[in-house]
Amino acid sequence: MSIPSQDNAINAGSLTRILIYTLLIFFVIYYLLPLWVMVSNSLKTLDEIRGGDMLAPPKDITFEPWRQAWSQTQIGVEATGLKPYFFNSIIMVVPAVFLSTFLGALNGYVMTKWEFPGVNLIFGLMLLACFIPFQIVLIPMARILGMLGLAGTLGGLIMVHTVYGLGFTTLFFRNYYAAFPTELVRAAQIDGASFFQVFWRILIPSSGPIIVVTIIWQFTNVWNDFLFGASFSSYDSTPITVALNNLVNSSTGVKEYNVHFAGAILTALPTLIVYIVSGRYFVRGLMAGAVKG
Amino acid sequence: MASLTIDQLTKSFGAVEVLKGIDLDIEDGGFLVLVGPSGCGKSTLLNCIAGLEKTTSGEIRIGDRNVEGLHPSKRDIAMVFQSYALYPNMTVRGNISFGMEIRGVDKAEQEKAIQEVADILQIGNLLDRKPSQLSGGQRQRVAMGRALVRHPQVFLFDEPLSNLDAKLRVDMRTEIKRLHRRMGTTIVYVTHDQIEALTLATKIAVLEAGYLQQAGSPDEIYNDPSNMFVADFMGSPSMNLIDGLLLERDGGLEIEIEGYGDTKISLPAPDTAEMRGFVGKPIVFGIRPEAMTDPDGADRTSPQIETRDCFIEVSQPAGSDTFALTPLGGKECIARLRADARIELGAFAPISFNMTKAVFFDPSTTNRIR
Repeated sequence: MSIPSQDNAINAGSLTRILIYTLLIFFVIYYLLPLWVMVSNSLKTLDEIRGGDMLAPPKDITFEPWRQAWSQTQIGVEATGLKPYFFNSIIMVVPAVFLSTFLGALNGYVMTKWEFPGVNLIFGLMLLACFIPFQIVLIPMARILGMLGLAGTLGGLIMVHTVYGLGFTTLFFRNYYAAFPTELVRAAQIDGASFFQVFWRILIPSSGPIIVVTIIWQFTNVWNDFLFGASFSSYDSTPITVALNNLVNSSTGVKEYNVHFAGAILTALPTLIVYIVSGRYFVRGLMAGAVKG
Repeated sequence: MASLTIDQLTKSFGAVEVLKGIDLDIEDGGFLVLVGPSGCGKSTLLNCIAGLEKTTSGEIRIGDRNVEGLHPSKRDIAMVFQSYALYPNMTVRGNISFGMEIRGVDKAEQEKAIQEVADILQIGNLLDRKPSQLSGGQRQRVAMGRALVRHPQVFLFDEPLSNLDAKLRVDMRTEIKRLHRRMGTTIVYVTHDQIEALTLATKIAVLEAGYLQQAGSPDEIYNDPSNMFVADFMGSPSMNLIDGLLLERDGGLEIEIEGYGDTKISLPAPDTAEMRGFVGKPIVFGIRPEAMTDPDGADRTSPQIETRDCFIEVSQPAGSDTFALTPLGGKECIARLRADARIELGAFAPISFNMTKAVFFDPSTTNRIR
């Protein structure tokens, strides 16, 4: 169902209309300007950038800065480009996202369909995890990682992000499953389904929208994280966000702005792709259950 | 197939006692309807039978097996839920076969069972659809199919018709009754609709506030209620419960009732030892609307018809009958007249009371006086 056309509901003069469009176009330009600066400058030579206008389009397009950023530029001690760090991030993000999503779904299932005394207290405590500033957990987390022998490894980062993501994923799934009819679970129990059979066969197949929401949310957060990456990684487990920082903030040599721009875009690209591909599910998922469909 | 026995069952949620000692049984192949207003505990009782709620104390036996502590799937029951509870991600076929799949029944046998159920319920053409593509009545059938395919000892129905429109409800009611006759399986059925209870049951249990008020055949429940709650709850329009005074006159008993204004009417009351204990005391006189008629419409087979003049305030023609409202004992009472009975509003008209259908209650305890 769509809302009836507003064409003849409000009799706005063409002047108002022009005003509205002017304002909208202004804001579109305003918001797209940073992207334009990044893309255009990443395609210029360093001389051209030094020579002048940041907003001007590149005179002769070169992809050299991109190649540099990806595989050749000096980051830390080695001239490897962002490539190994990009794969570090992938190796960290994928398991962290799936583990936290899976555990969040399981938590949501237990908290809504297998209620036990004190369930609301535990849920409240888990919610707290959403609001605790990252910095507070740094020292205890470092200690635990050390005790587990995971300090400075990708495994350790995966664990940190899984644990930290649990608060949000549990919140998402609990609220989604709270609206899921309990009678379905009961019917499955009468049919003889076990705890996990109910979970896999009944709940998970009906959780499409919330799974997408959780994956997008977790992917973005874990990929974009800088603090945990900077605190808990060593030179062979550094995620791309930290590597980008090392690239841009290096205090030796010439500042290669074009390479920095290309590197920043490369770093942001996966989250952008995730949003573009599944953004519509995100909105749909956030609204799921709001209206009886 | 098996009988079902419930023995001194109690159920508490924390400090709240929902079921307060229920004793109930239904014979093999019987149709037990649990009826009562919202919150009376009838659904909780059904969930206890299904094993979806743990009982606090007492015993439930299916056949001669105590099902205490048994998982719902091990009790040999099948349940139809109010919302149908069809698995939304599976087709109709998947919904019906899910239980068999879990139990590891082999494919060929599953298919045979599905076909058999689909034939009984005429849902063969719907097997590959998803529940969201079905109408309410079709979903209802699928939900019953999922229960039927198990061949359980006892079927449990939790208000299965309450989500259907009026016409479909009547159709499905007939269908459930037909199905029961065909399968001969014991059924426990929860409803708040007393018409459903009367039409379907071989035995009705009326619950209120966690107590079993009365259990008996539909005829017993309707004509021989054991207290004022049952009398008032069953039947539509419900029984007239009229306050009156029991008097002794000329050696017999009479009940005196206030009519319109200062008028009073007296009706003879049965002379029993228990009734005699209430002489000179207030008493509640219960009579169903169909036992209060115009003289021509009175039941000619009844040996005791008493005709009195009553003041008619309002009449409500309902097609097949006309309901007339008359003040008796300070309340509006409903008399059920023939559709073409000529009555004048705002005037006295003769009303015939079929006293063989009259029942009496003690107003202090609300229990029946026999």
